Amino acid sequence: MTTTATHTAAAPDTGHPGAVVSFENVTKSYGAVRAVDGLSFALHPGETVALLGPNGAGKSSTLDLLLGLRPADSGSVRLFGTTPREAIAAGRVGAMLQTGGLMEDVSVRELVTLACALHPRPYPVDEVLSRAGVAEIAGRMVNKLSGGQEQRVRFALATAGHNDLIVLDEPTTGMDVTSRQAFWATMREQAAAGRTVLFATHYLEEADAIADRVIVLNRGRVLADGTAAEIKAKAGARRIAFDLDGSCADETALRGLPHLTGYERHGDTVKLQSSDADATVHAVYALGLYPRNLEVAGLGLEQAFIALTEAEEADASC
Amino acid sequence: MLNTGSTKLIKLEVTRALRNKKYLFFTVLYPAALFLMLGGTLSGSTKVMGTELTMPAFYMVAMASFGALTAVLVGNSERIAKERESGWVRQLRLTALPGRGYVLAKTASAGVLSLPAILVVFAVAAVVKGVRFDLWQWFALTGAIWAGSLVFAALGVAIGYLASGDNVRPITMLFYFALSILGGLWMPTAAFPQWLQSVCEWLPTHAYAGLGQAIELGGAPHAKDVAILAVYFVLFTGAAAWLYRKDSLKA
Repeated sequence: MTTTATHTAAAPDTGHPGAVVSFENVTKSYGAVRAVDGLSFALHPGETVALLGPNGAGKSSTLDLLLGLRPADSGSVRLFGTTPREAIAAGRVGAMLQTGGLMEDVSVRELVTLACALHPRPYPVDEVLSRAGVAEIAGRMVNKLSGGQEQRVRFALATAGHNDLIVLDEPTTGMDVTSRQAFWATMREQAAAGRTVLFATHYLEEADAIADRVIVLNRGRVLADGTAAEIKAKAGARRIAFDLDGSCADETALRGLPHLTGYERHGDTVKLQSSDADATVHAVYALGLYPRNLEVAGLGLEQAFIALTEAEEADASC
Repeated sequence: MLNTGSTKLIKLEVTRALRNKKYLFFTVLYPAALFLMLGGTLSGSTKVMGTELTMPAFYMVAMASFGALTAVLVGNSERIAKERESGWVRQLRLTALPGRGYVLAKTASAGVLSLPAILVVFAVAAVVKGVRFDLWQWFALTGAIWAGSLVFAALGVAIGYLASGDNVRPITMLFYFALSILGGLWMPTAAFPQWLQSVCEWLPTHAYAGLGQAIELGGAPHAKDVAILAVYFVLFTGAAAWLYRKDSLKA
């Protein structure tokens, strides 16, 4: 966990003093669709935060609002206590978007040189090229790159200068496993240097491995916010499965087991999710049952995530 | 207003345009070739219908104006529409470059590229067709045609923000050919029926060619032509600014 803050916001900030990013009750609708619905959260210096959510949860809209690419309908979006545009103009924010295109008919080096020239606090071009792993393709034309190479060039553009916040939307899409690992190694260095990193991803193992904080969005709001371990716990951290020994178990008694967050039964096979597996298993025995083939397993972040969002969808449809 | 980043962007825009052979052909060689084809059919002393100008002199201004129009209108509209679609415009909005910097850089680089278009036509006219003017006229012609092209650069920006990557070419071509032909850049408008002539008179391209023709006849551009161009400039710039703002709210 990185807690060192090399930069703190100088300007006064209403909601969250010293916050790198602050969303206060932000809404954004596209026609009848409310993409962001009363969203509030704050990011603090040095945090590495993963933004998770199913398709249509409002991740991309949130990043667009955060970067000032679209205006919010209501609420306030502040970066370092100022507007997104001011923070970007001051060179405090580097961003890499999926939808970010590249200039054509220029070489990788020319494009990165431009990015450095546009940055108020640039790094040397060669340093940027080698950090992003594009030094060996610097002479190549941008329109002749593979998808993974393009992603790395986008990363070079996002890190052309000394940023305090790095925003990445699905950064490793199109990269192979090796580039993906190299990419996250670089990202970890950035975080260790005290930078705040916010990334949206659909690779949950990335969020699990990289982020020290996970924000789960659903229906344009924060559904869960905490460490990966806390999110898993919240979703029902453990999965319990067993077969019933023909003994006809009382359905209501099973459903009434303590700490249950999920229940499924197929014939004699019972599958449970529990936020406290020890207590739940104990209670199964206390019911006088003799479970066979008992299995207790941890939930991955992915299952936790599905459990969380499904639970909310179920609530919403009631 | 121009910081190092903006000048770097302009330079890169010019560099890549010079690498694009198709763009170079249509802006630099095509107008000069058309000049030789159209202006070379009649003898050098024949006066062009409705003007006091000889054929080569008439077509020299017409084709220099046409080349500059091509460079700024087609260059701006297609690139802007395509780059909006590819997301490059969005990417630039994540840099410290001011919002208008992109459009200004596009227009500035189109301006740089329209200059060779003008000069090549002049050179071909002077060398091949023996067109002769006073030194001040050459400078005035270059300056007037170059400055006048700004009107069409603004139109190019407006179309670039109006059209999508798919339909930008037909929309641009519609404006491009209608303005070129009806404005009298390809043939004298005096050949048109009277009703059409009275419409064409108010087109920006007609006024644009009028600038150069007045200078060739030894005078200053007509106030009417300058006024027409000024009105169109305000109109196109206003449309471009409005469409640009609309687009930046959509991201």
